[in-house]
Amino acid sequence: MDSDLEETKASEVRAHLAVCMDCAAVCEDFAAIVDASHLDETADLLPPNSQALWCRINNLIESEIRPEAPAVEPPKRRLWQLSFSQMAAGFVGIAVISSLLTIVGIKNYTQPAADDFTTRSASTQTTFEKIAGKLGLMETPQQARERRIRQQQAAIAYWNDRVQSRREQWDKNMRDAFDRNLSTIDQAVNEYTLILQKDPQDDLSGEMLDSAMTEKMNLLREFSDL
Amino acid sequence: MICKPYWGRNKVSATKTTILLLLSVVFFFGLAVETASAQKRFSRNFDASRNVRLTLTNRSGTVIVEGWNRNQINITASMESPTANIQPEEINGTIYVNLIRDNQGRGEVGNVNFQIRVPFNAMVDIETKIGNLSVSNVSGGLVRAHISLEGDITLTNIGASSVAAENVTGDIFFDGEIQDGGNYRFSSMKGNINIRIPFNSSFKLVATAPSTRDISLGSFTNTSLNYVGDGRRVIGRFGEGSATLSVTNQRGSIAFIRR
Repeated sequence: MDSDLEETKASEVRAHLAVCMDCAAVCEDFAAIVDASHLDETADLLPPNSQALWCRINNLIESEIRPEAPAVEPPKRRLWQLSFSQMAAGFVGIAVISSLLTIVGIKNYTQPAADDFTTRSASTQTTFEKIAGKLGLMETPQQARERRIRQQQAAIAYWNDRVQSRREQWDKNMRDAFDRNLSTIDQAVNEYTLILQKDPQDDLSGEMLDSAMTEKMNLLREFSDL
Repeated sequence: MICKPYWGRNKVSATKTTILLLLSVVFFFGLAVETASAQKRFSRNFDASRNVRLTLTNRSGTVIVEGWNRNQINITASMESPTANIQPEEINGTIYVNLIRDNQGRGEVGNVNFQIRVPFNAMVDIETKIGNLSVSNVSGGLVRAHISLEGDITLTNIGASSVAAENVTGDIFFDGEIQDGGNYRFSSMKGNINIRIPFNSSFKLVATAPSTRDISLGSFTNTSLNYVGDGRRVIGRFGEGSATLSVTNQRGSIAFIRR
């Protein structure tokens, strides 16, 4: 190759190559390599974007280099880590509480506050309502009645103030009749109040007290602008 | 002793008697004139449609409403001094008479006693602060009588399907038919409530007399009507239970009478 051999040796090699196909093939390969190395322009041999190619090669190499494994920490104990039975019990509990809250919400929405102790008297209370009442989740009929009475008393006080400022303009007959009848209503109110103090479970007296208080409130309101 | 002649004494006595008689006549005429000037009258007629409604709000005085066979409402009122203003008006088939509104701001207003005639099928809604209310011979959809303070309510020969009567002090008497599906409510604080209805009536009943526990069912006693709450209330059904009847008397009695 490249005229490195003497002429005699070269003649012997050529003769051999002429008859030996394997050696001839090897010689051709070498010759091609030597010819390529002698070319001036190397552009035809470079890939279109050699920089990008090297970048990809670098990335491949770096990815093959495994990072150093971090030190393995002992596993932490999770607070919510529960057994299957505990989780099942939890789900059942959530379902029950949601149902209770829904029922309470629906009841509060559908029942007007004004009628709650008459519609939910002790005798008509369901077992659920009794339990909820004892747990403080729901008003008992007595609590509802007391709340209702407080509201009525506030309204009565308001209308009574207005009546007091107007009554001087009425004639004497009207004033006397008003006082007489208001006294009759008050007698009924006092009577039912006493009965309820002795027997808070007396729903009928509770209903009548509510009726008498409402009557008094309506009377005062009616006369407040006379 | 000097004696006057007999005929002379008689003449003096006759003169005195004549003068006394004349004075008496003048006195009584004067009273009559005064009374006539104190009592003023009001009268007005309204043509009524078939389902006319009368809404009357009185202040004090008696109101009597009677049904008659005419398509006309006749309102007559006698007014005591100080005379009230009355300005009835008709709006969409309803006759409104409102003495509270018409006399707003006036301190003292005399009693006004109404006598009103309405078609048989009229709806009647009357109320007053003080005084008796009476309605008779009316079979329209509604009869309502409300007394804010005291007075008796008398409802006679009523065929309305919706009846309400309420007062604080005074008696309530209802005499009439109970219509199927009707609604009847009677409420008093202190007085007697008497209900006179036919035996073939059909109603659900809640009658409450908590203070006296005096609830008399009379001929209407049956196994479907039960005393509850230590006799303070009667609850149940009579007949098919078509109508609803609610009677509350806080400090008085309740009685049912067969018509």
